[in-house]
Amino acid sequence: MSTVVPAVPEPAARAAQSPFARIASDFVANPVAVFGLVLLALIVAAAVFAPLISPQNPYDLAQLDVMDSKLPPGSKSPNGGTFWLGTDDQGRDMLSAIFYGLRISLMVGAASTVLALLVGLTMGLTAAYLGGRIETLIMRIVDIQLSFPAILIALILIAVLGQGTGKVIAALVTIQWAYYARTVRSAALVEKRKEYMEAARCLALSPARIVFRHLLPNCLPPMIVVATVQVAAAIALEATLSFLGLGLPITEPSLGLLIANGYQYLLSGKYWISFFPGVALLATIVSINLVADQLRDVLNPRLSR
Amino acid sequence: MRPVPVPRRLAAAIAIAASVALGVALTAPASAQELKIAVAADVTSIDPHFFNLFPNNNIAEHIFDKLVQMDADSRMIPGVATSWKTLDDRTWEFKLRRGVKFHDGSELTAEDVAFSINRVPTVPNSPGPFSAYTKAIVGIDIVDPYTIRFRTAAPHPLMPNDMSTIYIVSKKVATGAPTEDFNSGKAAVGSGRYKFVRYVNGDRVEIVRNDAYWGEKPPFARVTFRIIKNEPARMAALLSGDVDAIEQPPTADLARLKSDPKFTLTSKISHRVIYFNFDHLDRSSPFVTGKDGKPLEKNPLTDVRVRRAISKAINRPAIAERVMEGQAIPSGQLVSEKLFGHNPALKAEAYDPEGAKKLLAEAGYPNGFNLTIHGPAGRYVNDEKIVQAVAQMLARVGITAKVETAPMGPYSGRASKQEFSFHMVGWGASTGEASSPLRSLLATFNRDKGLGAVNWGRYSNTRVDYLIEQALQQVNDENRMIMLQRATELAMADLGIMPIHFQFTMWATKKNVAYTPRTDEYTLAFQFRPVRQ
Repeated sequence: MSTVVPAVPEPAARAAQSPFARIASDFVANPVAVFGLVLLALIVAAAVFAPLISPQNPYDLAQLDVMDSKLPPGSKSPNGGTFWLGTDDQGRDMLSAIFYGLRISLMVGAASTVLALLVGLTMGLTAAYLGGRIETLIMRIVDIQLSFPAILIALILIAVLGQGTGKVIAALVTIQWAYYARTVRSAALVEKRKEYMEAARCLALSPARIVFRHLLPNCLPPMIVVATVQVAAAIALEATLSFLGLGLPITEPSLGLLIANGYQYLLSGKYWISFFPGVALLATIVSINLVADQLRDVLNPRLSR
Repeated sequence: MRPVPVPRRLAAAIAIAASVALGVALTAPASAQELKIAVAADVTSIDPHFFNLFPNNNIAEHIFDKLVQMDADSRMIPGVATSWKTLDDRTWEFKLRRGVKFHDGSELTAEDVAFSINRVPTVPNSPGPFSAYTKAIVGIDIVDPYTIRFRTAAPHPLMPNDMSTIYIVSKKVATGAPTEDFNSGKAAVGSGRYKFVRYVNGDRVEIVRNDAYWGEKPPFARVTFRIIKNEPARMAALLSGDVDAIEQPPTADLARLKSDPKFTLTSKISHRVIYFNFDHLDRSSPFVTGKDGKPLEKNPLTDVRVRRAISKAINRPAIAERVMEGQAIPSGQLVSEKLFGHNPALKAEAYDPEGAKKLLAEAGYPNGFNLTIHGPAGRYVNDEKIVQAVAQMLARVGITAKVETAPMGPYSGRASKQEFSFHMVGWGASTGEASSPLRSLLATFNRDKGLGAVNWGRYSNTRVDYLIEQALQQVNDENRMIMLQRATELAMADLGIMPIHFQFTMWATKKNVAYTPRTDEYTLAFQFRPVRQ
């Protein structure tokens, strides 16, 4: 069997420029998107370096003192520092708690998105390539799952699985794989009828090779767009679960739980316990969405020029 | 599978939105004749013998009478009985008030009292019967319609206390009546200050004044109890003017309530002690591990020095001030000041982290150990926050603590099976004296004798047991008090349980309504009165 495979032509190879350079130059054309990207980079940096830049480890109970609880932003801390964003009802420094909370939120968002993407891609490509009963079965499961509200499925899963980071990720993956499966299937159905696919089949390549070397790369652009949007959705959903008290342990609050803790103090004017984590959550989701929007425009051949 | 708390914050958001909308719709000024009160817990039945549950009793207090009543300080005062005395060691005689009328106009006599006491153990499907308070009675003699005698197998000094928990129903109406007939109102005929109007499960109870009541008549003619479990929603109902008064305003809102001239905050020390149970069993305790994460063969909590160290590590005044917003008093015993059996010599343990570390080292744990603390979520005032504050205080003396909380139902189920190592609970001394916590929390667990029913840590001390059993049979009040005080002292020296504080019960009202607060936490419509502005 021949091992030399003729290069399958890229459908959108319209310039001598490499595709990455083209994407990059299109991306920076929009200043709002650049702002989003910079903001996102800062947030990711804050999350990654949280242990180095936080004034306090908010998850180490020995470092907290309930005597410092509910202090307003700018208060002096007893060990000489300053609580720039105030403290919560356990005396936790809000700034540190937000850095650590971002860490959890981004980690959960990224991990669940990558896993859901893998599951969704596999299922969607399988359905599109094999067709027939398997396709019907997979796509009906997808239909059924997409007809339930995401939060409902998440609540049921947490109820069954129990609480904890891994379980929250598992719940998010279960919810989100269906979106990817549906998107990749429709993209794959279009690609499947193109000539290069026919050529690949004529060469009697193995199905796995056809799917992963030829079909998959050409279905990726829409998936990247869906994935970036879904990261934001996953982060929001994790925050919702935490806000409802279903996410992570109360001594290791993520952004949603921080907001929930402060929510009861809103009426009494202690706004900072909910407000700043809320701003952090908002900034994260907005920046991801800005980047995702621009990526969609850049990667969509129909929108380009 | 783990239990999941109801998504109460979501419910809260909806409830707030709904109550604000309602508040706008109902801004017509409430007449002085009408009172709307938001209560915090579900009323599960109107049958006063069905379930010995605080919210149910709270409603029964209005509709039904008792032989003995409790005043606002949990002291016994005459109710339907005008006087009581012992004829001999084993016989109590109660004299009944003449002319007490049920809501249907018939007279309340000794027949009805006897019927009610006999009905208590026979209510079908009762999840928590009142029979603990009637089982001492082995015989009832009706001397005449206004005199009744109770015979007991052993001397029983607590008979009047027991009788302060039994509601009197009408023999004529309630004979053969199932619990459902009370809920529908058919059998809910008492002789109390208010008559039953309507009960909507999970939503409201409506009552109307009984103008034929034998005692002082309450100021408000119509009263509605709205059941609003969620704290912010209850608060919003008050702020929007939907209700005139609420029980248990959230401590987070106290600052605002105090400074707002439109509202009055009333509080009183409660008969409820918030405390921690230690695992006293001689085993590898389920939630204690060494610093390396491996289970410890020996349970360190069985060593009184370790228990003392934990007690010393806890900064009770800080919890009372910062977590409870001043609405608690640190405690070193089981009942608060005005209650019978309070021991004035027992003070709350002083905060002493250095002493705690020394004791831990002495006991062989110089570096501490790992411990998971369990607590209920949403049962007691700020329960989750107290548990977290305790965890950080223990962390500072070397005991690395994790926190897990769960709603009271599944939580108490696990706690009562000794599944925890160190966990928080609260206990209200419903009889108004120290024998109630002593026999339930500290007496050695003994199902047949009904002792140690809530002794979830399985503390056991034969000297404490002996004193409790003696006190329960001691008819002389002074001797009984000394025995109760001594039993408390011994149990506290052992740290059988570790008290944290007595919580305050709070009520928030509109300025034009005042409440006379009670230690027993009841929210009683007849204790409200209009205030002229």
